[in-house]
Amino acid sequence: MITLAGLTKRYGARVAVDDLTVTIHPGRVTGFLGPNGSGKTTTMRCILGLARPTSGTATVLGRPYRELAQPMRRVGALIDPGARHPGRTAYRHLLALAQSNRLPAARVDEVIELVGLESVADERVRGFSLGMGQRLGIAAALLGDPDVLLLDEPVNGLDPEGIRWVRELLRGLADEGRTVLVSSHLMSEMEDTADHLVVLGRGRLLADVPMDELLGAHSAVRVRTPQGPLLADALRRAGSAHVELEIDGALRVEGLSLTEVGDVAFLADVRLHELSRVTASLEAAYLALTDEDVEYRAGAR
Amino acid sequence: MNRAVPFRAVLRSEWTKLWSVRSTWWCAAVYLLVVGASGWLAAAGTDSAPRADVAVQTALSGFGVGQLLLLVLGVLVVTGEFASGLALVTLTAVPRRSRVLVAKTVVVLVWSLLFSALLAVSCALAARTLTAVPGGVPPGDPDVLRTLGLQVGAAGLVGVLGVALGAVLRSTAGAVGIGAILVLVAPPVLALAGSDWAARMSRSLPALRVGEDAFLAAATSWPVGIAVVAAWSVGVWVLGAVLLERRDV
Repeated sequence: MITLAGLTKRYGARVAVDDLTVTIHPGRVTGFLGPNGSGKTTTMRCILGLARPTSGTATVLGRPYRELAQPMRRVGALIDPGARHPGRTAYRHLLALAQSNRLPAARVDEVIELVGLESVADERVRGFSLGMGQRLGIAAALLGDPDVLLLDEPVNGLDPEGIRWVRELLRGLADEGRTVLVSSHLMSEMEDTADHLVVLGRGRLLADVPMDELLGAHSAVRVRTPQGPLLADALRRAGSAHVELEIDGALRVEGLSLTEVGDVAFLADVRLHELSRVTASLEAAYLALTDEDVEYRAGAR
Repeated sequence: MNRAVPFRAVLRSEWTKLWSVRSTWWCAAVYLLVVGASGWLAAAGTDSAPRADVAVQTALSGFGVGQLLLLVLGVLVVTGEFASGLALVTLTAVPRRSRVLVAKTVVVLVWSLLFSALLAVSCALAARTLTAVPGGVPPGDPDVLRTLGLQVGAAGLVGVLGVALGAVLRSTAGAVGIGAILVLVAPPVLALAGSDWAARMSRSLPALRVGEDAFLAAATSWPVGIAVVAAWSVGVWVLGAVLLERRDV
């Protein structure tokens, strides 16, 4: 559980995080979305005690991070995949980290195997690719078998196999009841991974919604029929909020489920050539959200 | 709630970090080479000395420049983390930041004392073997032991100053540059300037120590000289600790 209350971080005149109040719950993967510079990383740094909030508080498991007695057993974090001394081997990098929290050295071998870096464990990390760096960073985050995970752009630089691996890993960790907060700008990745979304725009909270709800709010039913006007009338009478004629002659229906549209067509004795659900992609939903923010900001000036 | 992680764990972690990078071993190797070779050369070039401690003092001359390696090592132990971003990981793992700085200081201090002691003994051995002294250079001579002890202690303080400067400046080039000016450049320059206040300035800077004397700087008695170096090391260290606690990473 991560709790942010009125979290604000200013750098000079620039507001990186603006009065952010949100709770990240355990047992699900929370996606942390926002355009570049929207304050995701700054928020994570504040949670981890690396940056001091200008005002407001961030607590992890009910305490400020810096007061945790055994930080790595409580929280695992990946903030920057480049955060490693280039001249140290992967194994020794992880060993030093494990020692700092009195974790057993055997745990180092476990996480190295878990992230698939066995073959390069004794090489200096200087030559690591971005993807290998991500794996090393994830290994470090998992060292203490923590209750809370914060991962900043963990799939950046990973190959498709690696992306799938991270997705399954996060899912597994959330299913074990842990709190998982993962930021990404890859919408498609979030769509497959996250259960819940926290969306930031210019440091402010734009949305704190379950994934289904956000996608549902932007979904519709597409129906094609040679008797368009007839069906449109029937649908409006049935209570559809919005029926719209599309370019190819199909109707886009919002506010009714697939079943309901089918039933209405049957009762109205209308022939259907197509009946399908149009799920808004997360990307579309997200763009709609952030667009509103930009418009709001522009209008406010 | 489980018991807090003991300081010993942080110390162990920093020890692993120290020996697991090449720069540490390069610093050690060059330090051994410069100071060791200078010591034996100086002793070989000194046919005779009036007293044992004078002979040893001469053989220690390589420490003058050599201690810069300890400064560099101390700086790198801190700035290496900030340069790579590793500091993010370290200070997430150990959010009580002063503990990290204390642990780094301890491992650098121990490392510096260890190698300096080794070199001091080697230099004394050079003086004993190569320089003719009435009565020889007895290993237990109190004057010799004091000279060697002062040398080792001063070298340890230089390592600490390096760590402290690294914590304050966070930049390798900046910390090594300012450190070198403080310990090696400014004291002799001010001593040569000739005016009274310049000499006073020279004496108040943490000039590198060679045995009982300041290296090329305005002369001071050893208790004053060591006290000045210690005051600088501790003072900058405290500043570094305060800044580390307060600043964002």
